Amino acid sequence: MAQAIEVSDLDIYYGDFLAVQGVSMAIRPRSVTAFIGPSGCGKSTFLRTLNRMHEVIPGAKVRGTVTIGGQDIYASAVDPVAVRRKIGMVFQRPNPFPTMSIYDNVLAGARLNSRRLSRSEADTIVERSLSGANLWNEVKDRLGKPGMGLSGGQQQRLCIARAIAVSPEVLLMDEPCSALDPISTSAIEDLIHELKKDYTIVIVTHNMQQAARVSDETGFFNLKAAGEPGHLVEFDATEQMFTKPSLPETEAYISGRFG
Amino acid sequence: MRDSYQEELNEVLGDLVGVAGAVSVSVRNATRALLDADIHLAEGVISGDSQIDAACSGVEDHAFSLLALQAPVAGELRMMVATLRMVSELERTGDLAAHIAKIARMRYPESAVPDGLRANFVRMGEVAQKIVTIAGQALKERDVALARDLLEQDQEMDDLRRSQFRTLLGTDWPYGVEAAVDVALLGRYFERIADHAVSLARRVVFVVTGEYPDEDVWAQADREPAGHSWPVTPATH
Repeated sequence: MAQAIEVSDLDIYYGDFLAVQGVSMAIRPRSVTAFIGPSGCGKSTFLRTLNRMHEVIPGAKVRGTVTIGGQDIYASAVDPVAVRRKIGMVFQRPNPFPTMSIYDNVLAGARLNSRRLSRSEADTIVERSLSGANLWNEVKDRLGKPGMGLSGGQQQRLCIARAIAVSPEVLLMDEPCSALDPISTSAIEDLIHELKKDYTIVIVTHNMQQAARVSDETGFFNLKAAGEPGHLVEFDATEQMFTKPSLPETEAYISGRFG
Repeated sequence: MRDSYQEELNEVLGDLVGVAGAVSVSVRNATRALLDADIHLAEGVISGDSQIDAACSGVEDHAFSLLALQAPVAGELRMMVATLRMVSELERTGDLAAHIAKIARMRYPESAVPDGLRANFVRMGEVAQKIVTIAGQALKERDVALARDLLEQDQEMDDLRRSQFRTLLGTDWPYGVEAAVDVALLGRYFERIADHAVSLARRVVFVVTGEYPDEDVWAQADREPAGHSWPVTPATH
């Protein structure tokens, strides 16, 4: 079940350093939301607070609230591992487990999460996930081969298959195409478009055309000044952001004029 | 990279403003050629039109390549898309000026304007020149208020045309069929020149604000003058 995400007045710290300040936004279920902004503006940091991955770094903490499907994921009774189980993540570099076969890569998360799977249950999950990631036809005859033997674009789709194998509610993607060629990029973008029927997708990208192509809503993050925290400058429908942004700062960034 | 892109954007806009200036001169000269039966001025407008057409193609090609190579967004995207439309408005306006000059040349050494409608055409010419010039200025200065002012001017053009029709369809029209056809065509040309200028001004508002002006009000500017019908609509758009 895709879930809505509500963020309100979120401050994100690394130790005492305030990295991102005062972010509030509502992310709709079954939609693609893209974050753009210069390096170091905190968009990836913000993304990682949505599945409580940020706090894995020593000293890192957040203030404010994040609710997913109405539930505060930072409430004291909530187990971070349970949160991450419901929120899949795909990273910049494809990172299949190097010693595992394609088949075992897909099941890695599902096996961690649950009781022992029967062979037929496992087969069903593998086929459903690989089909969902548009990879099934390419790998169905070599499921026992290492995941690392695939091309970069295929590896990334394998990671997406692994993420959706646990039926998450939200899928976070941190620059999922920046290490891929245009053909693989296009395949991933098509996939994002299909996946949004079932998932809430949040993607960080440096490629503004990609944000324009795949997302329904776009958030622009920027630093207030060097050494100052990052913040959410503007958040609106993607078409609005790319044809008629409200703020000159947004227009300057998306038009490639800086400073 | 982005610096030269900015320069190119400014160049396209500058070229477009240049075309608007040339078109404005063309409208002025065509009007004078018509009213004064000046064959040299008429020839100048007719031969000058191919230069306007060439300049229009230049702007179009340049805007096209910027769209392809620089993928402009936001205000710059609005500017480029509007440029492609505005340049065709201007090209068409230049054609209409040439049409007026051709009628002047055809009737030379007589004037194509019958005495009874001379005052009407003098005013039509003035209004056309004014509207085209203001539209060009609004474009050059990206002046939304100026662009909005055009509407009123266009209303006068429509009134003038309506009054022409009344004279033309009166039972006491003394100038014969040939003159009637000239008047109908010339009135149409001037009216269309004003319409293209209004349309250009609408796009200026779009470039600057991201929105087209109030459709209801501006749609009136494009409407045919009411209260008449004419069996033949010349092939002008």
